[in-house]
Amino acid sequence: MAKASSMRQFKAILKKDIVMELRTKEMLTSMGLYAVLVLVVYQIALSQAGASFDVLRIAAGLLWLALIFTSLLGLNRSLVHEKDQGCLDALLLAPVDRPVIFFAKAIGNLIFLLMVEIIILPLFYFFFLAGKTLGGPLWMLPLPLLVGSIGIAGVGTLLATMSVNTTGKDFILPVLFIPVMFPLLYASVAATSAVLIGDPGYLTVFWNSLALGAGYDAIMLLAAYGLYEFIIGA
Amino acid sequence: MIDKSVTQRRFLGIPGNMWTIGLLVVGAVLTTADFIMAFFYTPLVVGAQVAETRIINGIAVSNQLLFSQKIFYFHVPVAIGSFLVFFFTAYYGVRFLMTKEKKFDTRARIATEVTLLFVILTLITGDIWTRYEWGVWWVWEPRLTTYFIMTLLVIAYFVLRSSIEDEERRATYAAVFGIIAFLDAPISFAITRLIPSSVHPVVLRSGGGLTGPQLTAFLLGLFGMLMTAWVVYQVRLREELAKERIEALKAALEG
Repeated sequence: MAKASSMRQFKAILKKDIVMELRTKEMLTSMGLYAVLVLVVYQIALSQAGASFDVLRIAAGLLWLALIFTSLLGLNRSLVHEKDQGCLDALLLAPVDRPVIFFAKAIGNLIFLLMVEIIILPLFYFFFLAGKTLGGPLWMLPLPLLVGSIGIAGVGTLLATMSVNTTGKDFILPVLFIPVMFPLLYASVAATSAVLIGDPGYLTVFWNSLALGAGYDAIMLLAAYGLYEFIIGA
Repeated sequence: MIDKSVTQRRFLGIPGNMWTIGLLVVGAVLTTADFIMAFFYTPLVVGAQVAETRIINGIAVSNQLLFSQKIFYFHVPVAIGSFLVFFFTAYYGVRFLMTKEKKFDTRARIATEVTLLFVILTLITGDIWTRYEWGVWWVWEPRLTTYFIMTLLVIAYFVLRSSIEDEERRATYAAVFGIIAFLDAPISFAITRLIPSSVHPVVLRSGGGLTGPQLTAFLLGLFGMLMTAWVVYQVRLREELAKERIEALKAALEG
């Protein structure tokens, strides 16, 4: 099959996901609302911390916690749709290259995740960080978010495709996802923290963490790309 | 259908069963020797300097002598063992995906069982040391964190297996997850070390490097435990193969 046709297959699957989302608005509403609820729970958790407690020190961790739980919800939904409505079987019957399915689903998940981040980030700032001065320049903040989101969408798509085909479904995904994601989350929180807090020498920590996170993305995406064919065929 | 290669295979003219028994004996002897040497033969490791010189056993000592370091002769071999055995989970996972033969899935699963055993032993011995040296039962220190994550990955492997009914799908998913988990473990190992953390306790040791007796004890323990791991793996594999044969015979009798 020619290269152009792979691209067309890719676009078709991605377009299907986006059109479905535009019609139902289910993913964005559920993910966005869930993220807001997580922020409310943070307010409860921090309500007794006292005035001397500086939320900036743990802000990066809180932000990533909200993102990781929201993305778990989104990943599950994205693949449950495919399975329940028989779409995945239809995709497999169609003459579509398996890696194309992986990339289309992963990019779709990445787009939804980034859109949710665009909603959460300002909200998080207004709720918890308003009036505080950030340690680093603002333009650095999207970088760890992007590196983290790419890994979450890529590896998450692989693991979610596995988990929707098990009897455990919702329970299995976090069990597989969180330990596998550990290095990336660790790096992303370190980089985000470095920008938000801006301790002396934060630039070194920032770029090192970002490079390590990108390295994780590269290795894991290659592995996920190579292994997806087996998962989807089984 | 029935995999007989394990019991009938000969290596250097000696049947597989004899190898297992032989390595069990040698492994047990070496591991025991490691223990005995660790406590009675290797010198104590010199730790931080103490305020005044004392006479212990007729020798003037001006540094703290770390008895707790003895755990090194047990802890490090098991830790190395856990990584080596985990490699076989991924290796047989790849073999399974290439051939779709059930025997590789069985081997991958048993290798993961042995990994779980070794990871838990590493975690426990590491934790004893942490309690002794740093005074706390748990600290999110790179070494401990990594092993905790590895334990979770291995547990997740079994959770995944138990939630899939279809045999071939279970084997495929387990193989894929085994490979992903094996790739993930060294990355988390590296990342927790490369990214500095403000709570990281800095452990300073003078010197470094092992003296002759220490190295001997350590290597004995390492080889002993690797042999033991291999024997545990072989015994479990035979058990599984025997089970499969019984099932096949049952099916033949009923059919």
